[in-house]
Amino acid sequence: MVSTSSLTIARSRISPLPKIALTRNTVGPVVLAAAVLLLWQISSGLVFVIPSPAATVQELFANLADPQYRTDLAVTAGATVRAFVVGAGIGFVLGLLVGFSDWAKALLEPLLVAFNGLPKIVLYPILLQMFSLGGGKVAMGILFALFPVFVNVATGVRELPPVYWKLALSTRASRWQRLVHIVLPGIRKPLLTGIRLSVSLAMSGVVLSEFFATDRGLGRVVLQAFSHAEYATMVATLVLLIVTSFVISVALWNLEKKIR
Amino acid sequence: MSASASAPRLRLDPRQPAVSVAGTTLVVLALGLLLELGGRAEWWDVIPPLSAMFQGVAGLVGDAQFWSDAYRTGLEVAVSLVFGSVFGLLAGITFWKLPAVGRAFEPYLVALYAVPLALFYPFMIVLVGINVWSVILLATAMAAIPMALNTAVGLASMRPVYTKLGRSLNLSPRQMLFAVALPAAGPYLVAGLRMALVYSLIGCVAMEFVTAQAGLGYRIRYLYEIFDDTGMYAYILVVLLISVALTVLLGLVERLILRGRISW
Repeated sequence: MVSTSSLTIARSRISPLPKIALTRNTVGPVVLAAAVLLLWQISSGLVFVIPSPAATVQELFANLADPQYRTDLAVTAGATVRAFVVGAGIGFVLGLLVGFSDWAKALLEPLLVAFNGLPKIVLYPILLQMFSLGGGKVAMGILFALFPVFVNVATGVRELPPVYWKLALSTRASRWQRLVHIVLPGIRKPLLTGIRLSVSLAMSGVVLSEFFATDRGLGRVVLQAFSHAEYATMVATLVLLIVTSFVISVALWNLEKKIR
Repeated sequence: MSASASAPRLRLDPRQPAVSVAGTTLVVLALGLLLELGGRAEWWDVIPPLSAMFQGVAGLVGDAQFWSDAYRTGLEVAVSLVFGSVFGLLAGITFWKLPAVGRAFEPYLVALYAVPLALFYPFMIVLVGINVWSVILLATAMAAIPMALNTAVGLASMRPVYTKLGRSLNLSPRQMLFAVALPAAGPYLVAGLRMALVYSLIGCVAMEFVTAQAGLGYRIRYLYEIFDDTGMYAYILVVLLISVALTVLLGLVERLILRGRISW
């Protein structure tokens, strides 16, 4: 599997001045976003089920003023944060295990890789019975969030240069010191890649679960708005979810490109 | 570093593929045994014993409903895989030829990498309707993203000597693309195709699971709603088995295709 850190389109090694890089890398995406907005505006005039961008933003603010909606927002955000923290934590520990131990790699890695290729969402009815309506979606989010951190930490640890361990030996670093001063700085880049993917996957897992069945949450709001034909609320909520996930991902991605 | 202690007393080397395969098989068997015994002894009341689930799966083989659902999902996955790989390949080539376009799309592709796109499904069914096309359209996008990024990276990381050779042979742009660039990016393209299949399968099943008229994911939801747990577990197991079989098969195909290539 090609690690996602290498999936960024390769650019020249010699980076230009930061300011130039900023304009060069911002103009294109902004122009594209403007084009999409324009397309959205035009199509909202043609198809009555599509609310215009202005109407969507207006609806979003109207929704945010509603305490019921804010509760749903808080439920989804809370579940996502819990799923991300626990999932990334489990993924980190598993990654260290598989990165350091040849036996763990031999026994667990094929299973974990196969598990990643599964449509994990079909396990949701089982998770619902095990963890109830509130916990099932967190469990689903954990299953979604775990893998990217796991695979990036495992490959990161495996690719640490051997000279690091010689240094650790010569300074008689303890296990904890090796983890904090050698492993963590050494794998910071793949770790950040894993965290970035893990955040958006945790949210996707939680919201997809909420689409299926839950007590509260934005996923339920979306499907309810769908069945009541309140398309402005539906689109506004989807835009809120996607934009939030996009902003977090891009921020982490920029951080990732900055650290070397 | 943990392997530094591998003294002669340790006869099994976990780094050997055969040992890994045998060990993984043992772990799977142990997990299966746990599921069987735990289900029979009713250590938990959620998951039935594995043998009961497999009996349910065997019952599906003669079930016309199952085949019609499997056909629906298979059709969606196949169509979105074909469309997604073609669009992804074309997009990847465009990003390589026109880096400005690549830079414009890059943050969106990276941030919405495949799975979050499934969240647009409710909007899609408003636009297109609850039918096979709303699933196929989004699954196509989900399959196209890894294919596009892999194609772009594969082409961008091509060794300059290949293009130099092509130029000195006076190749036309078309020859350059088909005879030099795409073969050079081969391993990336194959990996991209594998991810495209994985994501289109995940996407189709997940979207059917949210709401649809037919398909394996939809059937799981339907059986959940009518409290038919036996049927639901059989369908869940079938979906998992098909996906694992596909993953293993793809791994083998990938190895077969890339066999004999000079590693670089």
